[in-house]
Amino acid sequence: MSTGEPIFIAHRLLDEQILDSEGRRCGRVDDVELIDDPPRVSAVLVGEGLYPRRLPVRLRGIARRLAGPERWGANAVRVPWQAVDRIDDVVHLRGKAEEHGLGHGDDPEDWMVRRLPWN
Amino acid sequence: MKIVFKIALGIIAAVGGFLDIGDLVFNTQAGALYGYDLLWAVLLGTLGIAVYAEMSGRVAAVSNRPVFDVIRMRMGFGMGLVALIASTVVNVLTVAAELGGLAIILQLLFDAEFSMFVVAAAFALVAIVALLPFGGIERLFGYGGLLMLVFVATAIHQGPDWGQVAHGFVPNLHDSKLYLYFVVGVFAAALMPYEVHFYSSGGVEEGWDESSLKENRLNAIVGYGLGGILAAALVVASGFLFHPLGIEPNDLGTVALPAQDAYGETGLLLALGGMLFCVGGAAVDSSFAASYNLAQFLGWEWGRYRGPEKAPRFTFSWLLFLSLAVLIVLSGINPVEITEYSVIFAVVALPLTYLPILMIAGDRSFMGEHANGPISAALGWLYLAVIAVLAIAAIPLLLATNGGGG
Repeated sequence: MSTGEPIFIAHRLLDEQILDSEGRRCGRVDDVELIDDPPRVSAVLVGEGLYPRRLPVRLRGIARRLAGPERWGANAVRVPWQAVDRIDDVVHLRGKAEEHGLGHGDDPEDWMVRRLPWN
Repeated sequence: MKIVFKIALGIIAAVGGFLDIGDLVFNTQAGALYGYDLLWAVLLGTLGIAVYAEMSGRVAAVSNRPVFDVIRMRMGFGMGLVALIASTVVNVLTVAAELGGLAIILQLLFDAEFSMFVVAAAFALVAIVALLPFGGIERLFGYGGLLMLVFVATAIHQGPDWGQVAHGFVPNLHDSKLYLYFVVGVFAAALMPYEVHFYSSGGVEEGWDESSLKENRLNAIVGYGLGGILAAALVVASGFLFHPLGIEPNDLGTVALPAQDAYGETGLLLALGGMLFCVGGAAVDSSFAASYNLAQFLGWEWGRYRGPEKAPRFTFSWLLFLSLAVLIVLSGINPVEITEYSVIFAVVALPLTYLPILMIAGDRSFMGEHANGPISAALGWLYLAVIAVLAIAAIPLLLATNGGGG
């Protein structure tokens, strides 16, 4: 599927796995940004800061208190639609995850994993 | 020859991932209390897991989507989160039950403190997972788990009244809450949700594609079929030996006694060895399942095939879940009790796992020509209805029977 075609956003885009150009899993489509009328997708939004807005209204307050505010570029990342290469079983991005500010959590430098005996 | 080897791998993987402490506990107790009368629940459970494992494996092979990928996509974030929390609680409880089981079996084989064996078993699992590749882990526990065939040999050696055994496969109901509790337990022990979480993710770990569909079907039929025969043999062996004597086995050691009765010390050692590999394999499967689910739901990198370097969050969450399970067992709760609670709570979480699999397996826009045919669809919906009824009945039965204590 090319990125110019009409799609069912809720069916084929929202909540889908995102892979970078090297096949690395780097998040899910946690929300989408729409512009214009009729609306079109201008960006996919990724990150744990966006989770509270996906919950029922009554739970959002407490979830926001737990997750903290949306900090754009940190726990909420905007990936412009132009960076989406294609959508098949997953959403493929052009370029590597770090170029879009994604996949930090799986950066081995941030983890003790390097110090594990089998590495 | 290569295809024979591949199928053999699938078969042992299914055996290793199917029989676990839940089956050992519930099936042996079911045999002791009700003779062969609950064999039909074993058959029903085995058919159910074969149907859903085949479906989840097919989805993984065709669309590359393991279970929690499907759950997040089909149920959305909110309901998906409910499924994730419920599954994680059940999976961690299951890991605790399996670890406790490992420690009890080790205690029967060697002489030392229970708590020491819990920690030793956890360290051994970490070492095995660290040293072996994914296929190696499956093979180790799968081949080892085949020692459980001693229970089939035992059941044949005992020479039960085969007419009565055959009669047990015909569904029958007793007017007793405890009997119904065991129907739910035996059925649910066969259908534990971690089995499909692990099986479908394992398909992705092994790089399955459409050419793997034949292997997937054979795993489901032959692998789970063999697992079902072993599970039925536990009921028959226990029903023959314990039922006439009115013995109600309350500890894991009793499970191995029919093999000792038939073949002496060799039988006992083979049975304990088989149980060790089965329960060890299930500990790996259920702990992996907990981490697979979390990573898939949140979109993290995951998989043993990626290695800890490329999937650090997955690896650390695995170590965290394993440590949590160790703490639960060390808290002093009887592992057999943890097992019963994990199996009964699993029934409640089952529909949240199986409904999304059924929905996507039947969706032609994802599965194309490999979408559910009429037979798979009918069996899938039928089992979902059975699971839904049992899910509603499970907790009241647990309370009414005092956790199977009568």
